[in-house]
Amino acid sequence: MRRIDEEIIALSRAHGPEAITRRVYRLYQKVSIAGDLVALTAVGRAIDDAITLLSNPSDLYLLKAHAAFKLHKLADVHAALLAVSSVYDSDEGRLIRADLDFQHGRYQPAESGYVDVLGYERSWGALARLAHLRGKMGNAPGADCLYEEAEDQLTAKEMRAYAWLEVQRGFLDFAHGRREEARLHYRRADAAYPGYWLVEEHVAELLGAEGRYEEAAGMFERIASTVNRPDLEQAIGELYELAGQDRRAAYWKERALRGYLQSVQRGEVHYYHHLVDYYTDVAEDGAAAVKWAGEDLQLRVNFATQAALAWALYCDRRFSDAVQWIDRALACGVVDPLLDFRASEIYRAAGNEIEARNLREGALNLNPTVAGFHVHH
Amino acid sequence: MADHNDPNAVNSIFSDIDVSAADLYDIFGFPSDDPIGVEKVVIALTFSATPQTGVFDTDMLYRILIAPDRRIARSARDDTSLTGLLTYLEGVKERYLKILKPSEVRVTVDHDNRANLRFIGFPGGSFSASIATNQSVSVQSPGGHQINVFVGGRDDAFFNDLPGFFRSINYAPQFYHVPHTMPDVRELPIPKTFLELEGNDLFNYDPQLPQWGHGLKKELPPGPLIWNGNRFKKDGNGNFRFVYSGQDARAGQNCNAIILELPLTFLTAASDEHRVVNTWGESWVLKAAHKVETIPDDPLWIEHPHVLLDALTLDDELKKYKLVDTDGQAFADAALSEREDNRQLGANNFWLAPHFIKRLGHLGWGFGPSITALGLACAFDHDNSPVSVHRTYSSVLEAFPRVQKILFQELNMPDDSWNPKGLAIPLRRAVDIFIPNVNSIDMDTTGTWPFGRRLEDQVATRFLSTFLDMSASINGRRYHVELLNDPGLWNSAPIEPKTPPNPLKNDKEFLPDFPYLAEPW
Repeated sequence: MRRIDEEIIALSRAHGPEAITRRVYRLYQKVSIAGDLVALTAVGRAIDDAITLLSNPSDLYLLKAHAAFKLHKLADVHAALLAVSSVYDSDEGRLIRADLDFQHGRYQPAESGYVDVLGYERSWGALARLAHLRGKMGNAPGADCLYEEAEDQLTAKEMRAYAWLEVQRGFLDFAHGRREEARLHYRRADAAYPGYWLVEEHVAELLGAEGRYEEAAGMFERIASTVNRPDLEQAIGELYELAGQDRRAAYWKERALRGYLQSVQRGEVHYYHHLVDYYTDVAEDGAAAVKWAGEDLQLRVNFATQAALAWALYCDRRFSDAVQWIDRALACGVVDPLLDFRASEIYRAAGNEIEARNLREGALNLNPTVAGFHVHH
Repeated sequence: MADHNDPNAVNSIFSDIDVSAADLYDIFGFPSDDPIGVEKVVIALTFSATPQTGVFDTDMLYRILIAPDRRIARSARDDTSLTGLLTYLEGVKERYLKILKPSEVRVTVDHDNRANLRFIGFPGGSFSASIATNQSVSVQSPGGHQINVFVGGRDDAFFNDLPGFFRSINYAPQFYHVPHTMPDVRELPIPKTFLELEGNDLFNYDPQLPQWGHGLKKELPPGPLIWNGNRFKKDGNGNFRFVYSGQDARAGQNCNAIILELPLTFLTAASDEHRVVNTWGESWVLKAAHKVETIPDDPLWIEHPHVLLDALTLDDELKKYKLVDTDGQAFADAALSEREDNRQLGANNFWLAPHFIKRLGHLGWGFGPSITALGLACAFDHDNSPVSVHRTYSSVLEAFPRVQKILFQELNMPDDSWNPKGLAIPLRRAVDIFIPNVNSIDMDTTGTWPFGRRLEDQVATRFLSTFLDMSASINGRRYHVELLNDPGLWNSAPIEPKTPPNPLKNDKEFLPDFPYLAEPW
């Protein structure tokens, strides 16, 4: 990070299109490494400013698309790609378009997009995207193989990317209840890139799932002390509640809600789905959860937003509406133990015991510990 | 629940990757003087001085591959048709894939900046050695051969007007900020040429901006990046403007280098027959997964490097690395492979032969007319075009007749000094030189290019001479590979500046003895 800061300062004194482009990229890289979405909004403005300074800002439009994607501003992503035809048609542009398809619930075009780009070059980024999609669609072994292939593309100069992939593999195991396997991946990630918040976040989640609530909360607190992340504050609150420390729990939950709402007031949309989780799992306010789930669904219609709305409706005791939305989520073929587990709850509440039992058994088969603590990623 | 993946968190077109230590510059090779009767060959692989001159990137592995062989015999009946070319390529492929089993020297440098060398598969024995860097060291093989080794920083031995070359091929990234997302805007569709084209404002020298292309870059202008003229540029005195300046773009700059001086009898058990030492270099970077494995350093390996050979099969070692760059023949990559990453094949570049032929045809339509305009005879058939033409080929059949002479003509040497023993050694041809992409050092010659590559050879200009018609004569002498290096030629040519394309000598004197390359700056 210090090296990046030094380079940003040096580039601020330099002139010319390469210096401008590189400086803005380093700003983006810095907030990406820190996972600081508040700062990313400011970087988005810096990208816009820089675009006006260059006569060929195509690289910056691609960067703008990346930044907008992180902030869930999907319409902005599309607009940035369309701004320059060479960006739209580039491999990276095609991958982001496939990401957009995924976010909009168009899974077949998303998969085709990834596969097409992989036909030209088996880049680690394309492999990781396809792995994620296949993993979500129930092919966890296939996903892990693709992640492994992606790792094989990386050199010793790309250890952060390697750590990121190890976290994905670990999370794939965690989501299927294979905690020891997950721990091994997280250890490798930590060895590859020590001090990476993403690794610590997942390790903390694992500790929480194992009932080591205070230890997990402590790890989250360390990460939250360096970055404004209300989603982490919510996790801390939930962990302290599980640990029986109600006052602390209330403090962190309140902080989390305040952070989410401040983000919304700033015009940001990337915490909508966290607000749904907050109102369903923490505040248990079904009506508020439905409101935010609806807002998120306006941005993107996919199994995750559909399932989130279904769960919000369930919490609001609108069981038949909840069944309709969970059916839509399941219809795409997604295989997710937590989603199945919640679907079983919805069906049970709606009086369909048979389907509820089937879904519950399916979920427990996929992950025997599905009901345990988890972070709302 | 997780609702979206985000490899963008760490993925970008903007690379964080600093693998410039993998950027191979050159591989030199020549027979060393033989004062005590031991025939030796010098091989020097040079690459980027990253992280610093004399300090090495510990994630890198360098290979120098060596395959001694008989000299290729050639008869007057050699088939120079396309069928003959294909037969030649098939023979090369057969030889490199099935017959020649290259030996190799692998080099890694550890965190203490000590070089670990593994000599693998040599008739003179396989062994390993750990040596200090930046010092000339002599190591001994199991068979008692003395091998001189230097792993360290040196002055870069390459002397060349690189901006001039890039101007000749209208290579935009040397002169303009070209975004990563505009890969089609690199070599612009403007005729390649030795002489500036009238109205080619995208690349013609700008006296108001002498640093342009020498570090200074402009923004790409809007509009079509093409040239619509129809003649070479001339000044008021009727002189053409040379795209080259003759200046050394590498002056005052260093490289890191692996330099070996090896007895021929260590390399081959048949040194009387194997008179040609084929060599090429490769750079490999450690894969991320294996970086994690090496984080807890194994003290046994550090203290006893030879155990590596016992503990691992060699393929297993290479599986831990990723090939980044290869270097065999000067200009095979830059001029003919267009520096594409997926064309880093080294000796295996016979797969790219069809591309080479088409590329040579493309270069010929550019360079050929500018050679003719200077009053020189050209080996490329450009239909007497008065000006350079931008033409590409999709068919080998179409390109081959145009480039046939370039491929198969013998490249004359300026005198007989290259062949001190006066042996019946055939002159080299472009087809022999560039496929396979290896440096073929003829031990019965001085090793001057194309019979190897001596440090003092101006290979960039000699490469340009391959487009000359070697059957032509000037001032009563046959054309030869040094013709374009002759200042007299340019002094009498209708051109400005009156200079050979590239500098005639290195910025520092080479050393008479090992390690031969000059001390670093």
